[in-house]
Amino acid sequence: MADRSGDVAVSASRSGSDASGARRRIDGDWCDLGLPPNVLLARGAHVETSYSFHRFRSRRDPAITFGRGASAYLGTTFDLGPRGSVTIGDYAMLNAAQLSIDGHLEIGDHALVSWGVVVMDGYRVPFTPEGRRRLGETGRDPFTAEAADVRPVSIGAAVWIGFGCTILPGVSIGEGAVVAARSVVAEDVPAGCVVAGNPAGIVRRVADAGVGL
Amino acid sequence: MSEVSPAREVDHRWSEDEVPPSVTLGAGVAVIGAKAFARYFATAPGAMTVGEGSVMDGARFSVGPRARLRVGRRCRFSDAVVLVEELVTIGDRVYIGWGATIADADFHPLDPTLRRIDAEGCSPLDGAPTRPAAATAPVRIGNDVWIGPNATVLKGVRIGAGAFVEPGSVVTCDIPARARVMGNPARVTERF
Repeated sequence: MADRSGDVAVSASRSGSDASGARRRIDGDWCDLGLPPNVLLARGAHVETSYSFHRFRSRRDPAITFGRGASAYLGTTFDLGPRGSVTIGDYAMLNAAQLSIDGHLEIGDHALVSWGVVVMDGYRVPFTPEGRRRLGETGRDPFTAEAADVRPVSIGAAVWIGFGCTILPGVSIGEGAVVAARSVVAEDVPAGCVVAGNPAGIVRRVADAGVGL
Repeated sequence: MSEVSPAREVDHRWSEDEVPPSVTLGAGVAVIGAKAFARYFATAPGAMTVGEGSVMDGARFSVGPRARLRVGRRCRFSDAVVLVEELVTIGDRVYIGWGATIADADFHPLDPTLRRIDAEGCSPLDGAPTRPAAATAPVRIGNDVWIGPNATVLKGVRIGAGAFVEPGSVVTCDIPARARVMGNPARVTERF
């Protein structure tokens, strides 16, 4: 990531300008949740609405770090468990993606994540019907349960994830890769590859299109 | 939550929609999200029922005039879309993830000639023709089924009890009980 010296970190807990732990309102936001104090925005980073944090439960500090010029638009949901954290690289853009993260998610610089993308690093429910039945009868919310088995996901620099893709637990997507629309990525994607399908497979290399990394 | 008066309020609401009178909610049911019933057209009493303790968090119900939707107890739907023209039956403790879609209909005819009529029938213009019928087939989802985010379940499908549908799967045919499926079309990868 680029040198951050000179950046102004916008954080209630760090800037000292707000009461400690207070949520910060975003200018023009229709949602009154406010930004949680453990979300850090580098200079020029943009979050369209604090509704993106309506499923945010992380107690890490910082829990989310936005790089310079990074952005998260309407429909993006930071569904972070109590120990979840996300680092978003410089100029990375999240456009209505759902991030269900109980461990750490790394999103590289210049990564682009499209509408309807789901990224998850654990299942939050037992695989066996008996386990789910027990969980269900407790009345606890399986969507806010913390995954017992977190398998971290990483999205490399300059990766482009198309509309409606699903990135499953444990997947690493290498630098410059392209994930075609509606793909379901269950295995690692090497750098510079284009993957498509459900489950996704390599269909070509970016270099074959005459472009370099 | 109250036993006699299930949650009918909505957090972060931006619409004035109420829960329609033909929806029967069990004790402790929560429906969260003002768009839940924006496309609900059923009028028969009890056309949609939701069992006790279920939470419909951001789910949207598109229910046709003659459709019936049965949701069991202690289910959790999160931002899922359920499209019903005939009958969708969902068991107990069924979890449906973000962006998943359940549909029991094609909504539009396969025949292009009929589909042109259908397109005009859908238009907001005055004097639009009556829409031709589209194929429907009931969907039945058993108890303790998990349906991952972005999955799609299409018309006529029966998903057996305890099945685990991986995120993003497209379920086009029946899934046996206790099977783990993934892909498009969804195939069994494991049995529990």
